[in-house]
Amino acid sequence: MKLSRRQIYLFLACVAPIGKLVVLPTELVREAKNDLLLPVAIHFLVQAAVIFCVLLLGRRERGLYEILEGTFGRVFAKICMVTLSLFLLLAGLVPLIEQQLFVQGVFYDTLPSVIAYAPFFVFAAYLASKPLAHMGRVWDILAPLFAVGLLGILLLSVGSADYAALLPIGASGTGFLKSTLSASVWFFDAPLLLLLLGKFEYREGMAWKGALCYLGGGLAVLFFLATFYGIFEETAINQIFAFSKTAKYFSGITVLGRIDYIFVYALALVLAFYTVLPAQCAIDGVVQAFGSPRHLQTILSAGIFLGYFVLSLVFDYSFFALLKFMTKALVYLFPVFATLIPALLLTLGRQP
Amino acid sequence: MKFRHFVKTIPMKLYIIVAAVLLFAFFSNDFGLVDIQKTAVILAAGIDRSGEDFRLTAQLAVPKGSDRTTGGTSSVEIKTEGKTVSDCITQIFTDTGWVPKLVFCNLIVLGEEAAKEDTISYLNYFLRNEYMPDSCLLAVCEGTAEKLITSQSAIDDASSLAIAKLFSDAAEKSGYVMPNTLKDFAIGYYGVSKSSYLPYLRTMPQDGAQTPSSGTQPSPQEEEQQKIYTAKHTALFSEGRMTALLSPEETLAFSLLKGKVSAGTFNAEAEGKPVTLTLLEDEGKISLQKDPTKAKLSVSVMVRFCCSGTTAPIEEISSDEVTKETLKSAEEVLKGYLSSMWEKATEGGCDLLGLRKSLYRSSLKKYAEYKNMLPHAVTPQIEVNVASMK
Repeated sequence: MKLSRRQIYLFLACVAPIGKLVVLPTELVREAKNDLLLPVAIHFLVQAAVIFCVLLLGRRERGLYEILEGTFGRVFAKICMVTLSLFLLLAGLVPLIEQQLFVQGVFYDTLPSVIAYAPFFVFAAYLASKPLAHMGRVWDILAPLFAVGLLGILLLSVGSADYAALLPIGASGTGFLKSTLSASVWFFDAPLLLLLLGKFEYREGMAWKGALCYLGGGLAVLFFLATFYGIFEETAINQIFAFSKTAKYFSGITVLGRIDYIFVYALALVLAFYTVLPAQCAIDGVVQAFGSPRHLQTILSAGIFLGYFVLSLVFDYSFFALLKFMTKALVYLFPVFATLIPALLLTLGRQP
Repeated sequence: MKFRHFVKTIPMKLYIIVAAVLLFAFFSNDFGLVDIQKTAVILAAGIDRSGEDFRLTAQLAVPKGSDRTTGGTSSVEIKTEGKTVSDCITQIFTDTGWVPKLVFCNLIVLGEEAAKEDTISYLNYFLRNEYMPDSCLLAVCEGTAEKLITSQSAIDDASSLAIAKLFSDAAEKSGYVMPNTLKDFAIGYYGVSKSSYLPYLRTMPQDGAQTPSSGTQPSPQEEEQQKIYTAKHTALFSEGRMTALLSPEETLAFSLLKGKVSAGTFNAEAEGKPVTLTLLEDEGKISLQKDPTKAKLSVSVMVRFCCSGTTAPIEEISSDEVTKETLKSAEEVLKGYLSSMWEKATEGGCDLLGLRKSLYRSSLKKYAEYKNMLPHAVTPQIEVNVASMK
């Protein structure tokens, strides 16, 4: 089973941006303040360029492991795949715990028990045990959900936003540079795409179309961020779980109730599948490297999500410590794995 | 064959079941259940200072069945005292066994003395609380918040519900009430203007208010005179402290500048006699000039004749048009209100019109130069244009 080009475009435009709408907006404001659009614009541009390169690699119609093996040999290729998988597992931890806190904080009026969220890990383990190429159909369904969800939220929010709050540009000084670095933790879409190599058929123009789709999704995120800051201004730093917050000031809500939750739930559903994806790609990386012995994928999937479940219990009350560790100590891994390596593969991997 | 097919489709069935369980968990929202016997649903909170401590008066919605069920909502007031607001909220639980739930809290009232201290020192509890809606209305009251919250409303069972009616969209359009929310107050405080405003509540005894029906013994609370509330005054805040109070006329001027009025009335003069004009449209503009020590406040309104205190022939009554002389008088009246509002705000050190914010957004360099001079060193140029509906 292969992914169609449409499914790749939909993933880039409508699934990849969702991870940037939960905690990232608040974290951006911490350093970049009203310049919060700049770090995100930089990341989207850089990732779009890398995605262009990765999609060009798709011309070879080979999986990542095959490309690496053809260039560096079997052992090094295996090491690379395992390292990349470990990176993806690490990168996937933040969105996973973000989502847990989001569900507990937004969908419940009081802090629910851990059990309320536990079924997600069962669902995620099952999903991750499925071949990555099967995700195309899921993205077909998620893309309209994302589009309707985000559009609905934006429509309900724009009236409450004062976009002049984004002025003056550059007020944060070097704050936006610090923010650009820490925001790297949320931008690892190119390595996800690396694992999809060989699972789709490349056609002329796919690289730039894919990059454009990603930029389209990026524009939607930027517009959302502008609206978010326009609504909360200096207090935006206190507004975690951004996409559930902006629409609640719509005047009709006092009469109709939280109708914005229809759109919030739609986005939450997209988020649920997105948060599984890094682990799913990581498992696929290992399977590519070691073939697919019987039940390897299922065992890996169960083990990984059991581990994630334990970590989610550990970090349930210390998410910000984890975030600090990721954005200060481990952040340097992200430009290497999410930008440098995928971009370099295009130049290094010229093997028949 | 059938069995094999069944076994083959097990994963898909499992997938659907697990997905359904996940969705159920996601969407359940605790099944939306609020156990009213265990939960204190806080409708409003009043905050006062008691020396170094805080005094919190929470109005809780209670299950019907008590002796106060004559109307739509029954309520009870709980008073607690503590070192912080959080302390006070916790005490509601320890004193009553009810778990306080702030998700329905739609009004926070600050006592006058409490408002004169740094309000964020106690409002921060509500800003931090994820379950507290920051669209919650915020107001200051004359005297103590405790007295206001515990007062008997003449128009509703719960005082907080009666007060919330004062802040409706319709009331805001009249120009005599300037509601504010926790979120916008916080934005004002943490923004470069460091200023904000809140409606100022007063209670007035309501003569002739309904007394309990005959045959039943009135409780001491019912014996207390019922009250109505007004919020025509506006309290001004600088760096979180209440520093000035706008009169109803000055509140109207502020509303006009904000461009929020479309149904209010005000008085002018025609041939030396008072007349009332209805405001139909309003456009307010505040702009700093190139020299940031000069600001232009302009208000353009469209009015129609509402009524006069004199007898008039039927031809005059059938016309809504306002004479030029009355329009001029109206302009003078509004100019006076605007000027008085400006003086009060600057005397209180309140950057009510957000001049510092405007300057910050337009030029960081000029902001650095002038930020300490705004708004008190600014000379306002007030322009009012009153036009009559044709």
